[in-house]
Amino acid sequence: MAESEAKTAREEWGTRFGFLMAMVGAMVGAGNVWRFPYVMGDNGGGAFVLAFLVLLFLLAVPGLMAEVALGRYTNKGVIGAFRDVLGPGGMVGLGVVVLLVNIALMSYYSPLIGWTLYYAAHSLLFTFTSSGFEAEPFMEAFFANSGLMIGLHTLVMASVAGILILGIRRGVERIVVYAVPALVVSLVIMTGYGLTLDGASEGIAFTFGIDWAYLTYSSTWIEALGQALFSTGLGWGIALTVGSYLREYDDVPLGGGVFTAIGESSIGILAALAIFPVVFAVGVEPDAGAGLAFVSLVQVFPEIPLGGILAILFFVGFFIATFTSGLLITEVSVTTVAEETRFDRTQTVLGICGLIWLVGLPSAFSADFLDFADFIFGSWGLPLATLAIILVIGWVMGPERLRVLAVNKNAGIYVGKWWDPVIKYVIPIVMIFIMGYFAVDEFGTPEMIGGMLVIILFPIIGYGIMSVVDRTATETDTAEVTGGDD
Amino acid sequence: MPLTPGVLGMLAFTLLAFWGVAIWALTRTLRQESRKVEMLEQQDRLDTYSPKALAELREWIERNPNDPLAAEARAQYNECVDTLETTDQHFYDWSDREIESLERL
Repeated sequence: MAESEAKTAREEWGTRFGFLMAMVGAMVGAGNVWRFPYVMGDNGGGAFVLAFLVLLFLLAVPGLMAEVALGRYTNKGVIGAFRDVLGPGGMVGLGVVVLLVNIALMSYYSPLIGWTLYYAAHSLLFTFTSSGFEAEPFMEAFFANSGLMIGLHTLVMASVAGILILGIRRGVERIVVYAVPALVVSLVIMTGYGLTLDGASEGIAFTFGIDWAYLTYSSTWIEALGQALFSTGLGWGIALTVGSYLREYDDVPLGGGVFTAIGESSIGILAALAIFPVVFAVGVEPDAGAGLAFVSLVQVFPEIPLGGILAILFFVGFFIATFTSGLLITEVSVTTVAEETRFDRTQTVLGICGLIWLVGLPSAFSADFLDFADFIFGSWGLPLATLAIILVIGWVMGPERLRVLAVNKNAGIYVGKWWDPVIKYVIPIVMIFIMGYFAVDEFGTPEMIGGMLVIILFPIIGYGIMSVVDRTATETDTAEVTGGDD
Repeated sequence: MPLTPGVLGMLAFTLLAFWGVAIWALTRTLRQESRKVEMLEQQDRLDTYSPKALAELREWIERNPNDPLAAEARAQYNECVDTLETTDQHFYDWSDREIESLERL
């Protein structure tokens, strides 16, 4: 645990805009582009928007405020922040759980970034508008080429490492302040163009038509809940890590909570406006996931004027969305491992990126394995990480203490007492419900068994690691903030 | 296909509820940042709590005098009071009367 004497003072975001773009860049990912628009249209359109909005303000905004505030309050990465709250010992292993989940998440997200990189490169070569091009065989050939997949995964992790080595201000911030606005601009141009096409209004009607009956369906609320929690990256350690680099007088609740949750969701709304008018104008069947991005949309581009340019805007924007998320997901592990070990930042980045590359090989090799890993970690791993962070804040640190000491300090908006029960009760109950819901829904399947193994093994591994690592520290240190009154 | 008023209304509401709120939050936080930077150029520190938040911090300290973080909370409270009493410009909307009524803990 001894920190290297060579380590210098902790970095900070250079600008407020840099912090905000890092938060949004981290949270806007593939889900905003290829999932949200379809889920919205398929679940009652406007009715889904209302359900989603309610859950965003009820869960995601307060939850993100809490996570960013803990990071800013402790000025440490996940494990350091947990140790400050829990005191040294095995329970700090909950931070290791968050780390393991992030490494697992990035291991299959990196190959996915590789997919978007491949399609972005082909958009620049105008492949999709060339004569004789067929979307489905092209995608199938790509997914069957394991060597290419692994090569792309390697390229992505090497690029992530190259940027992260430069640090927070010179690396991450320098990228996100341009990348996120570029993504928004590309989607705005695509929207503007798409709306001029004949038949575009059908896409708008599909996405924004209202069927109020959907508000009475549990499936609408489950979808909205999943979108509100997973799309905003609540409790994955990203907001905590990004928040730990805030400057002394920076606000938490307005930028880290309201702007991040609503801003990143706004990009999902914009993606819906950019994609579905174009898809419906050409009469292609709407879809979600890889089918939407790599088949439906690719079929659309040759059919419309300036389709090649539109393909570049979409796929480069899509790549930016996934790549910035990948950067910040990896940064979670880099920040905390660099703090907790004698390794300097460069050594840590290379070690973490190397580990993610290695763990990600099966997902790069097989799209089926990627789907399997995505389901396990999306259904149980990520909620487990969220639960770990929110329990530490809600039940050990205490929401009232965090609110009066950190959330409302230098705040751009005042956060009242309503926030405390949301953090302490509502979010943990929702996360347990999500894990239980998926366990019942998938009872007995290999995915469910894999998920249960994650839920059982990750905390045991984390507890074991931190019991050993913190044993010596326990003799000298005491818990700084244990024993909240609320 | 012409869009129905319901669809147009929902589109407008969605844009307002998401992009409207996001742009409002972005503009407000960046303006606040500029103001903080401007004030820090003229004085070396800023008031860290709004009147409501500082009152709540005080109330929490008084309710939890033996909390492990009470000393830190007291220091934060006193720091804000000192700043308010020794600086001319305040980030939050403090009246002179409110500042005069403040007491260190």
